[in-house]
Amino acid sequence: MDTAIDIVLKFVAITVVFVVVLMVVAYTVLAERRVLGFIQGRLGPNRVGYGGILQPFADLLKFILKEDIVPDKSTRFIYFLAPVIATMAALMTMIVYPFGPETRIPFTSISIPLVVARFDIGLLYVLGITSIGVYGIMLAGWSSNNKYSLMGGLRSSAQMISYELALGLSLIGVIMLAGTLDLAQIVDQQSGWNGLRWLIIFQPLGFIIYMIAAIAETNRVPFDLPEAETELVAGFHTEYSAMKFALFFLAEYINMFTVAMLATTLFLGGWNVPFADSIFGRGTFLFGLVSAIGFLLKVVFILFLYIWLRGTLPRFRFDQLMNFGWKILLPLALLNIFLTATVIFLVS
Amino acid sequence: MEPQLSWYLALSAVLFTIGVTGVIVKRNIIAMFMCIELMLNAVNLTFVAFASFFQDVVGQLFVFIVMTVAAAEAAVGLGIIIAIFRNRESLDVDDASILKL
Amino acid sequence: MQALLFILFGGLAIGCALAVVAQRNPLYNAISLVGVFISLACLYVMLAAPFIAAVQVIVYAGAIMVLVVFVIMLLNVEQEERGRGRLKFLVPTAVALAAVLIAEVAFILVSVQEFPAGASSDIGLTHSIGTALFTRYLLPFEITSILLLMAIVGAMTLARRGGLLSPNARVIPGAQTLPRSLVDPKAAPDDLHAVEAESTEEAARLLDVVDLSSRSRRDE
Repeated sequence: MDTAIDIVLKFVAITVVFVVVLMVVAYTVLAERRVLGFIQGRLGPNRVGYGGILQPFADLLKFILKEDIVPDKSTRFIYFLAPVIATMAALMTMIVYPFGPETRIPFTSISIPLVVARFDIGLLYVLGITSIGVYGIMLAGWSSNNKYSLMGGLRSSAQMISYELALGLSLIGVIMLAGTLDLAQIVDQQSGWNGLRWLIIFQPLGFIIYMIAAIAETNRVPFDLPEAETELVAGFHTEYSAMKFALFFLAEYINMFTVAMLATTLFLGGWNVPFADSIFGRGTFLFGLVSAIGFLLKVVFILFLYIWLRGTLPRFRFDQLMNFGWKILLPLALLNIFLTATVIFLVS
Repeated sequence: MEPQLSWYLALSAVLFTIGVTGVIVKRNIIAMFMCIELMLNAVNLTFVAFASFFQDVVGQLFVFIVMTVAAAEAAVGLGIIIAIFRNRESLDVDDASILKL
Repeated sequence: MQALLFILFGGLAIGCALAVVAQRNPLYNAISLVGVFISLACLYVMLAAPFIAAVQVIVYAGAIMVLVVFVIMLLNVEQEERGRGRLKFLVPTAVALAAVLIAEVAFILVSVQEFPAGASSDIGLTHSIGTALFTRYLLPFEITSILLLMAIVGAMTLARRGGLLSPNARVIPGAQTLPRSLVDPKAAPDDLHAVEAESTEEAARLLDVVDLSSRSRRDE
């Protein structure tokens, strides 16, 4: 009976997280178009609903109702499998992020932690699932039977596996300071001192390397050569239309969201809001609510940083990109590990 | 009932045999390489099963090292395959059966 | 419950392994092998080895198989044709040996005495693996790192085209005699027409090599 209640609660938690993620991602698309518009001196889409609020639903309707074109000579099974892999890998990482502390549901005495699954190797799990996401892009590029798709797919996956190394290495500094791979424990260790224990203060170089590697991982500007319209038609998703293109689009923005949540959890203190525990007291419902809202605000800030970079920077050429990843970023990440280890050894 | 150690060993034996069959039957070098990786993974499963049932961490350490060796072997092996392909223009194992070009 | 999960993941592993052997398109082989790796990772989690499961997904499914799929795409490997004429006695032999294998597996499953089931314990956690790896088993760990270095150097040497000198290697004035194929990629390796020059461009001009700059930039 206990197990059954547990399973039902887990399903409810997964559904809630799923809905929250999809809403945030849909509105990130809208926010990107509006903010890019403002950066470029124009208004973005603002007709549908008040100020464009209902635009994501209009986009969704458009994607569902468009004609689905399948290229004739493509390998059918892999052609249908690729967007599924990309989206699945993007969504599966959602379950390990702690959205908030242990919260007491009001009018009851049940206290639930606001994280769907908590296990010992949370950070490694995220890195592993991100590695699986490369398959979606490679298989999409190959199965479309189109030279632009193939070039875009190969370049994109080469870029992703190169920057995965720098991403993983930049997180080792965090793991050394926190002493654990469990994301909920890393957030717990950053509480106290009203925000001065956030790991970004102790690992500034690690944060910068992580953000650069993460932007390259999600194929965003300035690293978005493999899918830029002026270069390769549309890269690996040239031949995809309607709902399958919507899945790739969704997977890219969910990846952005995942990376922003990982940056928030590891470097910006997760759900710790600076003066909240002295005002509200731990374990109460208001504290949980304020912490969850604080978490979402920090994630939104990092997403804004992404959009801001898109409006500001030009893009790298592909050989400059690979040069930067292997010859500059990887040695910097190793230097970061070395410095962190030296400081830890000298201090303790 | 709980899965017993013998179940894991039987699964590992079946996977290993499928790998050996693949190496014998396949004619494409890359497919043979993939069946060799399958055999290595079957052995990894045996190590981890023993480590779990005898409560000794050495089994898992050995799996760690086997994975590293497999990664190194994959890199060098694929380099060799590319070099063979450049010289013979074919990935059929029967075309590479004598060492003369 | 655990037995159900074991049957699920074990069946998935065996099914994908059979697909690896039976499929003729090499890309389908690769995807089936990724399926085997992921189901094995799930089995490792059931065996209280979460760290090894994560490393399996990151290293095998996420790096080695990506490399294999890259090579398949770059070399544009085609499907295998149907088997050519095989010796006639091979099929009955294969059936007989498969029957022997199934009999052995059934014997193991039925009559081997039961070991105590491993409870979920601390041995698979990261800190216990790390402690053992860096204290008692430090030597294999260091040797493994040297092995990886050898693999990196070996892979780079194998993939290099055009000899062991990079195309930007300068001809040192007056000091060395170098083969003509260094400057002129179309020359035979034992062409002995010699010139004396101060730089690679000058040697190319003296030898009437037309397009020195068309050398592949990928070798840098």
